[in-house]
Amino acid sequence: MPSVNVVNGKQIVVENLNASQRLVRFAAKPFVQMWHHQDLIAAILRREVRDRFKGSVAGWIWAVVAPLLAIAVYTFAFTTNLQLPMADNAAGPRVGYALFIFSGIIVFNFFSEMAFRAPMLLHEYTHFIKQTIFPSDMLAVISTLRATVYTLISIAVMLLFQLAATGSLQWTTLLMPAILIPFIAFLVGISWFLSAVGAFTRDAGYFMINIVPLFMFATPVFYPHTSLPPPFDFWIYANALTGYVEVMRDIVLLGKLPNWKVYGWSVLTSVVTFYFGYWFFDRYRNVIVDVI
Amino acid sequence: MSSSTSSDIVVRAKHLGKAYQLYARRNDWLMQVAFGWWKTYFKPFWVLRDIDLEVKRGESIGILGRNGCGKSTLLQVICGMTLPSHGELRVNGRIAPVLALGSTFDLELSGRENVMIGGAVLGLKRTEILRQFTSIAEFAGIGDYMEQPVKHYSMGMKTRLAFSICAHVEAEILVVDEALAVGDAAFQRKCLDWIDGFRKTGTLLFVSHSMAEVRRLCTRAIWIEDGRIRQEGEPSEVIRSYHRALLVEKDDVHRFSAAE
Repeated sequence: MPSVNVVNGKQIVVENLNASQRLVRFAAKPFVQMWHHQDLIAAILRREVRDRFKGSVAGWIWAVVAPLLAIAVYTFAFTTNLQLPMADNAAGPRVGYALFIFSGIIVFNFFSEMAFRAPMLLHEYTHFIKQTIFPSDMLAVISTLRATVYTLISIAVMLLFQLAATGSLQWTTLLMPAILIPFIAFLVGISWFLSAVGAFTRDAGYFMINIVPLFMFATPVFYPHTSLPPPFDFWIYANALTGYVEVMRDIVLLGKLPNWKVYGWSVLTSVVTFYFGYWFFDRYRNVIVDVI
Repeated sequence: MSSSTSSDIVVRAKHLGKAYQLYARRNDWLMQVAFGWWKTYFKPFWVLRDIDLEVKRGESIGILGRNGCGKSTLLQVICGMTLPSHGELRVNGRIAPVLALGSTFDLELSGRENVMIGGAVLGLKRTEILRQFTSIAEFAGIGDYMEQPVKHYSMGMKTRLAFSICAHVEAEILVVDEALAVGDAAFQRKCLDWIDGFRKTGTLLFVSHSMAEVRRLCTRAIWIEDGRIRQEGEPSEVIRSYHRALLVEKDDVHRFSAAE
């Protein structure tokens, strides 16, 4: 089989597949690629994870200090007599409210890290894309995996704090992969889309810098969505992040199984975003090489 | 030519053309995306035009031409980094591109770490890189600098390391773009010897401004001008006419402008 086969600017793949076989191949393609490039992903991921604290002496300690500091500040704010309008609405005692916010922030930070970085992602790797035979679609996967590492550290800090403050953990915490995996897929999809758009224009980056902080308030990070009047229900769930935040809180903080409608909606947005992102990236990847 | 079967041909290009889109105004690309179906907002700048090329297994092809004539673009197209805009291209076999050596190095990381990444980018498995590591280090010959960040390397050391990685990829087609210009004479000789060995089993596409290298390594030479093949044949013959042209034809200042 030829490794390159092109006619008039179109890659030629000779095959006889019917519609359903093509659909299966499309569905499998991102995973086939990831499997095929696993060593490359691992090599670059290793460097990316190290990169974050490059040149610092403390290194990894920072990854733990940041979430620790955050949770310390929330706890201080909500356990002292500071008057906060929302504090009474939240489920549980005041420490519970600190955890409530922290869990929301973990999910949101994961999203915002991807949203900020993705538009510049291909620019960071221009040399690789232009000078080597490089699977540029794997960059979104790698950068999401890197952010996953830091998110897991934050989650570990949260669980330790929960254990220390309340003396126990919810058994439903074990279900966390069931929400983390769809969330990771959702973010990979977003990264594919944003990195492709960002390759054409830097406006995508500036747009995200302005829009993401606003999203923080459109997502129930600081308040439970039940504190909004019912007409907002549709809109708060239209923001896909809401589902992930709520499912996370249900299983980690409240110890109950998530609402199946909310969970189903989250999985659906995840699958749709993942494949839309891949389709979009794949469609423009050959143009991207020439414009970046 | 006619006696060779199709499996002997590793690269076959027919009427190959590559155009970049040049926009008169910075934001015209947006108009192109939105209204491209209606009219075109760019001038096509043809970097390659009507390239016909057949490379047989085991051949070594030297590519000559002035700056900006399309040599590097041709190599990029053959490697599959960028798609041609026109024509047909078929490539059989694993390609190792030796373009812009060392440009993908991460300056903060050590040589060793860069070998791991660089090897992975070229498609080597982690176990393969680990197995070959001593051999890579030996070929590069930069000693204890292997453990130092690449930012402390000299240009020549970077080239040594980068070429050494490429030399350990088991490729069928080696594509080399002016890679050896920076190394010292001893290292250049080492690389040329290695390429010489490679030629026994593999196919070589070689861009160089050093006529001596082309004469030594190549069985055929191609002279590209203005994106077209101007002359093709026996290396010494092509080199002679290329040299003559360089003396007679002045450096044209309009070379990089789009055609009206």
